[in-house]
Amino acid sequence: MINIKDIRKTYMKTSVETNVLRGVTFSVQRGEYVAIMGASGSGKSTLMNIIGCLDKPTNGQFELDNINVLQLDDDALSALRNKKFGFVFQQFFLLERTSSIDNVLLPLIYTDKYPADATQRARKLLDDVGLKDRTEYHANELSGGQQQRVAIARSLINDPDIILADEPTGNLDSENAAEIVEIFSRLHKEGRTIIVVTHDRTVAEHAQRILELKDGQLKG
Amino acid sequence: MTRIVRITRESFRMVRNNRVRGFIMILGIAVGVASLTMTICVSQGVYEKVMDTVNKQGLDLIQIRPGSDKFTGAPSGSRDVVSLVEDDVDVIRQHVGNIVAISPVKDRKEIEVKYGDKFTFTRVFGVTPIWAQIRDFDASKGSFISEEDMSFSARVCLIGQIVKKTLFGDADSIGQTIKIMDVPFTVKGELESKGTGAEGRDRDDRIIIPITTYTNRLFREIPLTQIVVTVKDTDKLNKTVEDISAVLRERHKISPGESDDFAMRTPQDLIDMAYGASRSLLHVLMVIAGITLLIAGIMIMNIMLASVSARRSEIGIRRALGARKNDILRQFIIESLLISLFGGILGTILGYCGSIILSSMNVAASNLTPLAFAAAIVSCSLIAVIFGIYPARKAANLNPVDILRG
Ligand SMILES: Nc1ncnc2c1ncn2[C@@H]1O[C@H](COP(=O)(O)OP(=O)(O)O)[C@@H](O)[C@H]1O
Ligand SMILES: [Mg+2]
Repeated sequence: MINIKDIRKTYMKTSVETNVLRGVTFSVQRGEYVAIMGASGSGKSTLMNIIGCLDKPTNGQFELDNINVLQLDDDALSALRNKKFGFVFQQFFLLERTSSIDNVLLPLIYTDKYPADATQRARKLLDDVGLKDRTEYHANELSGGQQQRVAIARSLINDPDIILADEPTGNLDSENAAEIVEIFSRLHKEGRTIIVVTHDRTVAEHAQRILELKDGQLKG
Repeated sequence: MTRIVRITRESFRMVRNNRVRGFIMILGIAVGVASLTMTICVSQGVYEKVMDTVNKQGLDLIQIRPGSDKFTGAPSGSRDVVSLVEDDVDVIRQHVGNIVAISPVKDRKEIEVKYGDKFTFTRVFGVTPIWAQIRDFDASKGSFISEEDMSFSARVCLIGQIVKKTLFGDADSIGQTIKIMDVPFTVKGELESKGTGAEGRDRDDRIIIPITTYTNRLFREIPLTQIVVTVKDTDKLNKTVEDISAVLRERHKISPGESDDFAMRTPQDLIDMAYGASRSLLHVLMVIAGITLLIAGIMIMNIMLASVSARRSEIGIRRALGARKNDILRQFIIESLLISLFGGILGTILGYCGSIILSSMNVAASNLTPLAFAAAIVSCSLIAVIFGIYPARKAANLNPVDILRG
């Protein structure tokens, strides 16, 4: 499903070149649960942003369901993000002053076909992550763990092929982290493809496959 | 639900979520729009007011004055230009068709009038009986001058409402004797109240006497200060004007190429004058309103720009979740548009109240017309788009990766 070959990413900053990714090659099959580990600053987020079609590599090849992603324009990439991916971030990134349910519904604003049962679906997803009675709460009225669960519900509203989670437990205590990890395991059992970035080995161990990003290269 | 509807709902939600920002912007727009609507109401009001007096004085009236300037003519009552005499009236009557009535007029201003120990200075008009019909200016009490008064050069007069107030107060004036330049006159009637005329002069501050009396007993002047004519068929008014002109030119022996020694004023001239006056007022006020709107627009742009930086993470989140650049652009423009529309509606209400207050202060201001309303809505929508587009583009072009990285 994901086919990445020899991806390089170089940042130019005040004429100093930083080679963050130096030839990353890997592929992910449908239904796989993959963890990417690595030290802080090793380029994990950079890689995730490239996979999530938010960023473009300096060099390399990237095929997603046999689509040559690197040839697509900005609008097509936006559509792809909306359709194929569910994003979960370390900082949750919910809209403030917006209810949980509206946050969950957010990706549907940008779909081509708005489902008739959108609201029921959002309620069901919030119910699934244990927030049945928090649908009208605003993001700032929820705990970190609850916010991240809203974010996971949001990542599922478009029924995406792949869930990309960049340090989803990074801002949570161990108890909340465990709950999140459990949700991912359930989603994997339901057949979702999951790529999770973490530097927490207990989180990574739930995945089927652990890859290590080191010196700009991925080893597994 | 189509994409644009969903985005519009988001815009609504975001405006609601940022009440203070919205309120300030709405207020700014409202002030601009209020000044714009008031501008239109006032200039429209001025136009209506002049048109009203034109209509009151009749659409069938031609005024002929000595001198060559159409509007000022020679100053009324001046004896500098001796170009119109009573014989001219007879010639016109005999040789020009389409005429209902014609009357010579002589008048002088600041004439001393006394009654007992009271006195005033007013304008005295010498006219013929038909004048009342021509100017639609009849006696409200007593009666107008008659043919008999004319033949005897009778010392009778009609007094305007202001003269009546000054000399008699609430007492009865009919049959009393007043002195015009120390010549005794019997008050035969009071003139109906007419208010301000098209020239801006108060038409109630006057005295009317027979023109024969005026000439024989008061001033002994030969030239006329005016000839007034009413026409049968107002559609042929221009033709009648031409005919009068031809007759007068021939009688005055004016050779072709030489300019007239008289001037004619028609209702159309007054309408043009009213239109011109309200036009130039409109232009001045428009500039003021335009500047106010411009300031409102710049304020919108500023606040929206600040809001774009404050809402970077919202923009990043939306982009990551699948919003195209165009979706963000539309959301922000619709937000400006919504705020402008609210401001526009509030502004027209304020402008409407303003024009009511102006009316009550005796400033000519018409009611809110559909035109003023449409102008307000269109102008604030334009403001929203013009000044909202730059911040919206800025928002749309933010790079989501940079935002999400923090
Ligand atoms: N926009 C950028 N410009 C310059 N350097 C960057 C930029 N983004 C990331 N980097 C650098 O790339 C490296 C990898 O960053 P990142 O992918 O966030 O690492 P990780 O997520 O593994 O902590 C870091 O050294 C970071 O400073
Ligand atoms: Mg990172």
